[in-house]
Amino acid sequence: MPKIENVAPTNFSRRSQLYRRHVAAGAAFTKASASAVVAAYSGEHNEVHCAAMLGLADLSSLPRIGFKGSDTTHWLEKRIPRLPSRPNLSKSQDDGGTVARLSATEYLVLGNLTDAPSLPAALQDVSIDSSTQRVYPLPRSDSHAWFALTGTYAPSVLAKLCGVDMRARKFANGNIAQSSLAHINAIILRRDLGTTTCFYILSDTSFAEYLWDAMLDAMAEFDGIPVGILALRALENGISE
Amino acid sequence: MSNQFRLPEPYGLLLDRKRKVAFTFDGNEYTGYHGDTIASALAANGQMILSRSFKYHRPRAALTYAGQDSNSLVQLPSNPNALADREPIIPSLQITAQNYSGSLENDRDAWIGRIAKFLPVGFYYRAFFKPKGAWEIWSRFIRKKAGLGIIDKAHKPEYFDKQYLFYDVVVVGAGPAGLSAAISAADVGADVLIIDENAILGGSLNYARIDANGTRTGELRRALTSAVEKHQKIDIMVDTICNGWFADNWLPLINGNRLYKTRAGQVLLCTGVMEQPAIFRNNDLPGVLLGSAAQRILHLYGVKPGSNAVILAGNNDGYGVALDLLDAGVNVELIVDLRMAPEFDEIATTVVDHGIRILQGHAIYAAIASKGNRHIRAVDVRPIISDGVCSDKSEIIRCDMLCMSVGFVPAYQLACQAGGRLDYDDEKSVFTLTNLPLDCQVAGSVAGLWDIDDVIDNGKFLGKLAGSADQVLIAAKSTTDKKISSTNYSWPIFPHPKGKEFVDFDEDLQIADIVNAVHDGYEHIQLVKRYSTCGMGPSQGRHSALATARLVAKETNKSVAETGVTTSRPPFAAEKLAHVAGRAFYPARRSNMHHRHIEAGAQMLHAGTWYRPAYYGSQDLKTTAIRREVENVRNNVGIVDVSTLGGLDIRGPDAGEFLNRIYTFGFLKQPIGHSRYALMTNETGAIIDDGVACRLDEHHYYVTTTTGSADSVFHNMLKWNAQWNLDVDISNVTSALCGVNISGPNARTVLRLLCTDVDLDRESFPYMGIRVGTVAEIPARIIRVGFVGELGYEIHVPQHCGEALWDAAISAGSALGIAPFGIEAQRILRLEKGHIIIGQDTDAMSNPMEVQMDWAISKAKPFYVGGRTIVELKEAKATRHLVGFVVRDPEAPLPLECQLVVDNSEVLGRVTSCEYSPTLEKTVGLAYVPPGIASPGKQFTIKGTGGVEIAADVVMLPFYDPENLRQEL
Repeated sequence: MPKIENVAPTNFSRRSQLYRRHVAAGAAFTKASASAVVAAYSGEHNEVHCAAMLGLADLSSLPRIGFKGSDTTHWLEKRIPRLPSRPNLSKSQDDGGTVARLSATEYLVLGNLTDAPSLPAALQDVSIDSSTQRVYPLPRSDSHAWFALTGTYAPSVLAKLCGVDMRARKFANGNIAQSSLAHINAIILRRDLGTTTCFYILSDTSFAEYLWDAMLDAMAEFDGIPVGILALRALENGISE
Repeated sequence: MSNQFRLPEPYGLLLDRKRKVAFTFDGNEYTGYHGDTIASALAANGQMILSRSFKYHRPRAALTYAGQDSNSLVQLPSNPNALADREPIIPSLQITAQNYSGSLENDRDAWIGRIAKFLPVGFYYRAFFKPKGAWEIWSRFIRKKAGLGIIDKAHKPEYFDKQYLFYDVVVVGAGPAGLSAAISAADVGADVLIIDENAILGGSLNYARIDANGTRTGELRRALTSAVEKHQKIDIMVDTICNGWFADNWLPLINGNRLYKTRAGQVLLCTGVMEQPAIFRNNDLPGVLLGSAAQRILHLYGVKPGSNAVILAGNNDGYGVALDLLDAGVNVELIVDLRMAPEFDEIATTVVDHGIRILQGHAIYAAIASKGNRHIRAVDVRPIISDGVCSDKSEIIRCDMLCMSVGFVPAYQLACQAGGRLDYDDEKSVFTLTNLPLDCQVAGSVAGLWDIDDVIDNGKFLGKLAGSADQVLIAAKSTTDKKISSTNYSWPIFPHPKGKEFVDFDEDLQIADIVNAVHDGYEHIQLVKRYSTCGMGPSQGRHSALATARLVAKETNKSVAETGVTTSRPPFAAEKLAHVAGRAFYPARRSNMHHRHIEAGAQMLHAGTWYRPAYYGSQDLKTTAIRREVENVRNNVGIVDVSTLGGLDIRGPDAGEFLNRIYTFGFLKQPIGHSRYALMTNETGAIIDDGVACRLDEHHYYVTTTTGSADSVFHNMLKWNAQWNLDVDISNVTSALCGVNISGPNARTVLRLLCTDVDLDRESFPYMGIRVGTVAEIPARIIRVGFVGELGYEIHVPQHCGEALWDAAISAGSALGIAPFGIEAQRILRLEKGHIIIGQDTDAMSNPMEVQMDWAISKAKPFYVGGRTIVELKEAKATRHLVGFVVRDPEAPLPLECQLVVDNSEVLGRVTSCEYSPTLEKTVGLAYVPPGIASPGKQFTIKGTGGVEIAADVVMLPFYDPENLRQEL
């Protein structure tokens, strides 16, 4: 595990709704975009191993953006090489990010797990001529909290909260479900980290604390714990211990 | 002596004899083994009586040892009506019997049985209706006696939850058919779940006898269960009940404290059959039990249920019971075979070879009870003359147990819920199930098969088809490959002149009750059920449906097929409300600055799903805190969290046209950089929301909504534009933005410290202006609005920057004494200014004219939602107006919202808002009143708490700053 350059969430104007919970759980933070994300939690757990079994990470501080409108697909095709071909499908991008197609004319662009420049930031800076193009940016960085549920037991946890069959062999990597999760709306997309099953969960930011607690409660029977982004990066790089 | 009726191994398949379990029943100490149920452990200790019956308080013991009847209902510390023959014993468990007065053995209420003839069928219905006043008398007695068990009011809620499951094939029932089906389905690649309500796999293979030497069931069980347990594609859930079938193969499976909401591609119901009791006098005595019950308690729990048995047989299964009892060392005194000339199979022939006495063409006319009906001590055996009729030639045979093996009904409940049609073959005396959906089939004995090889073959066949999801073949083959056979005796019902031949043990219903129900005119089986309550008890007609149908058929001169049985609705077995409720989810929304409110001492309240600060300070100083907050806004500067307001981005070339249609005002010519009040009405002209529409650029408006209506307004907009098809995008950005309102005469001074890229001068940024800039280096939309009637700026920033904005504003304003204010202060402030709150000061009928908001309606535009109705409403005679009022007497109690405006006994209207105004130092409010008293200077009376009359004077609105000088500073 690399050395963590600990930063305080309150050093930034952008703060996850959950930063107090992370601080209380002994989190060390690292800079991500213009905010702080949990690098790892203190404790005796091997977080990479735990994440491979069952972990929950708060990625809400990472960049993301949405676009919708009748010209969106055409507009994005010029800027993103691999667009999902149909709704409810996502594709990984060269920068490690993910583009999710939520409908025929709506997309969600998620950044990568590193602090390196990513697609959302690049797309945010592109100006759009509203008089000629029907492309409308959506402030997904703020409208939606972003969690990652990782590990072998992740489908079992989702089965306690969501009515969609997300067993590994039924819900392939890249699939998206837009459904109810713990009684609130959520976008759930499978985005494996290396060989580890991983689901990105995006839900209304104002419900972040509720959903975090509800998920940890559902994870308890499988000994799932919160994990930091370093564990996720390790899994993405194929490190399992 | 403990466990004196316990048999040695290999009896007791479910027992772990190394683990003794001590428990108490009605205060007496007992010991059983891990794996015992309450009933089996008590039976091993000679305690057969478990309960007293519901109506007549007759002693009752387990009838089935399968948890299917109400005889075994007992009280657990926090759980009334637990099934003693289903509930396992655990160390130190304290169990008590139910429904007795005195003791279980000597119930003082047993006298009720002696007045049975005065409690005829339909007694409750008759008592309800006549003679007049009868119910008042009866109800006192009935309510005292009614109900089983005691609710533990101190019980702490346990953790129950739910989980979804998904399988290609779900097999319900793990008997020979189910096990075979699961293997076949999994062998062709399906993901299979097999469930069973019992603790182990095997079903009837765990206790039934299918060959003379009694070894084949064990061999089959071991082979099939081993194959299932080893199969990678099969998941197993035991101690799990499937409590219903719902559309699209949705199955509620209950295991422990969890409800599994299960979706199955294919369902195979291998639910088996339920043995039926014979109906004769005293057929409910302890010691009288089903043949399969005797086999269960022998083989599963290693308990000898008696020492001297009589078997009542209507089929060859009774002979298998006899052999099992003989093997266990029970003397079989007599087999009473209802059949005149039975065809014996290998098992029955073996019994004959044992020299057991058999009386063919005979019936049990009555069971004879020991003192107090506590146990059977003999049977009265008589020859059968015709269906249900015996001769007078009686033979009394002493015995301490009577096993009934007279027939079965399929466990058809789930199949019928799936749409299956249940028919009765009067010739064979069997039920058949047809018309099942292609993706839900029945296999094994529930499908009418009886031979074990046929059952297994049927399971294999349908399992393979289900695993392949080969619905065409299922449709073609499932109904043709069955070899339906019968083990049912056609008429095991023998009325007795003294009655007590129980058809339904739950409700103590006798033959006469069913017959009299028909004679009372309730000829349809469904009416008989409701009139007599037959089948409405805990066992839900499992043992009474067929007998009732037979009796009704006979009394109405119809066949059983024509009569039918009553509907079987979910749940199949009793389930707890906790299972239905599951885990408690309380979705709650918090703004990014939520914790700053907590840290500042806010008392939070729920506003819809949001948490909002009500006021800041301790509860005992609430009034002081609110007044302080109000005064700070009026005289200095306050800050309030407005993140909960809805926010919608309306973008596109038709954005202005869209708003023009959806709101009452005109928006097409609204200048960029200006905001405008936006009032929304529905098609009936009723007000449904309000907010502010801010024009950010030519094609972009930002619209706010009330806290509780963000989603409904958003959906309303989407709905209308689906019809209008305007070139516009509607995005709900409520949670993307977080906001504060800085209000008060010093608001601009504070904001100047935070915002340097927007000209905040009064002239440059006038009232109702909107600017985009940065506040505390955070990108912000700044709106000059004045809901509280002071100079105010509403600042909307990205949600995740909310706390930073709050911190910056508090810091910047600290030298001036900025202080947060909550909803309570905001409500007073806006009331002083005469601003209404949609939903509080309006109702589902309120139109703009009633609430003095004609000014918010454009007269120039051709259309808006509700416009046509509003034109009509304007021309119609008004019936009420929302007016401002002042309470005349400063000492009068504060009128509350919804208290009535009255004129003596006539209701004239109601109060919608009322507060004491610290600014005006008087009580002010809003109320709906008739037009006649709506003008300033009029008076009315409010009927306050306790009927106190409060005098109020109508005044002009607003109460505060009528020239609007404050908000336009």
